[in-house]
Amino acid sequence: MQKHANKYKEADDSELVKAAIEGDSNAFGEIVNRYRQMVARTVKGMLGDTVFAEDLGQEVFINLYNSLSGFRGEAKLSTYIQRIAVNLTLNEIKRRKRFFSMFSRTDDDEVIEYNVADDSDNEGKRDAREVVNKALMSLEPKFRIVVAMRMLQGYSTKETAEILKLPVGTVLSRLARGQEQLKKILKARRYENQ
Amino acid sequence: MKTNEVKDIIIRLMEGDEPDEGLLLKLREAGADYSFSEGFTDRVLASINKTAIVINRESEFLRSFSNVFYRIALTGIAAIIFLLISIYISQGTISFDSFLGLTDANNESIISVLTEN
Repeated sequence: MQKHANKYKEADDSELVKAAIEGDSNAFGEIVNRYRQMVARTVKGMLGDTVFAEDLGQEVFINLYNSLSGFRGEAKLSTYIQRIAVNLTLNEIKRRKRFFSMFSRTDDDEVIEYNVADDSDNEGKRDAREVVNKALMSLEPKFRIVVAMRMLQGYSTKETAEILKLPVGTVLSRLARGQEQLKKILKARRYENQ
Repeated sequence: MKTNEVKDIIIRLMEGDEPDEGLLLKLREAGADYSFSEGFTDRVLASINKTAIVINRESEFLRSFSNVFYRIALTGIAAIIFLLISIYISQGTISFDSFLGLTDANNESIISVLTEN
């Protein structure tokens, strides 16, 4: 399999898609290899670094496989995959929110689930990923997605707008509000740690 | 990298229309990046193959089910044709009455059969 997989290393996305539609699992394997980190950044950035996020990552690629024949190449393959990842992740967040609202009377249960205010461990022990993870989980989902796109994927405002199918102005304002929230969260935590 | 430095980078990355590539790289190098565990691709391909096998089994079942239905339908049609031919031979005509066996019956005989007199 490795031998065949290497055959696709140099192939461009459209060739891979064509071969995968024809049933070549090595071609699809190469697509997964190529975009797995991008999906991991979106899914884990939004849901946290959990086993569940791994399962959702798998679901993203299974959905991609099932919808590949409908991919007409109007958008880049990376954008198409990113949209699937974002939609599945947002659906999962909504599902969790519904589930937790059955047991909670508060409105901001999403924040409660990932409450990060209780940093009991020492600052020195925490690594960068933990800081990023906790900061992201403290944000409301609509801000979290644009912040994750910028912070983890390095997307520009225009690219984020294209993936999320939102106007650029909306992305800009969410980014600004997300930044404001982040400043408060990180500043508060810095204060707590002193 | 110190935590405060990471926090500064996070805030600065939000500025402008495009993120600063250098800052992004720094953040990733500091460990603020995500990836799936080893064997992720193999697990995805295994799940897809498993789903394909289930779909194949389902379509095989449906195919054999429709084959059985087709045979039953053919047998039914043959039985109806055979019945019509036998009615035609015995009654000399194919009508609704002959189908019900009422061609020779008049009203009195039907009443006597029904009232048992």
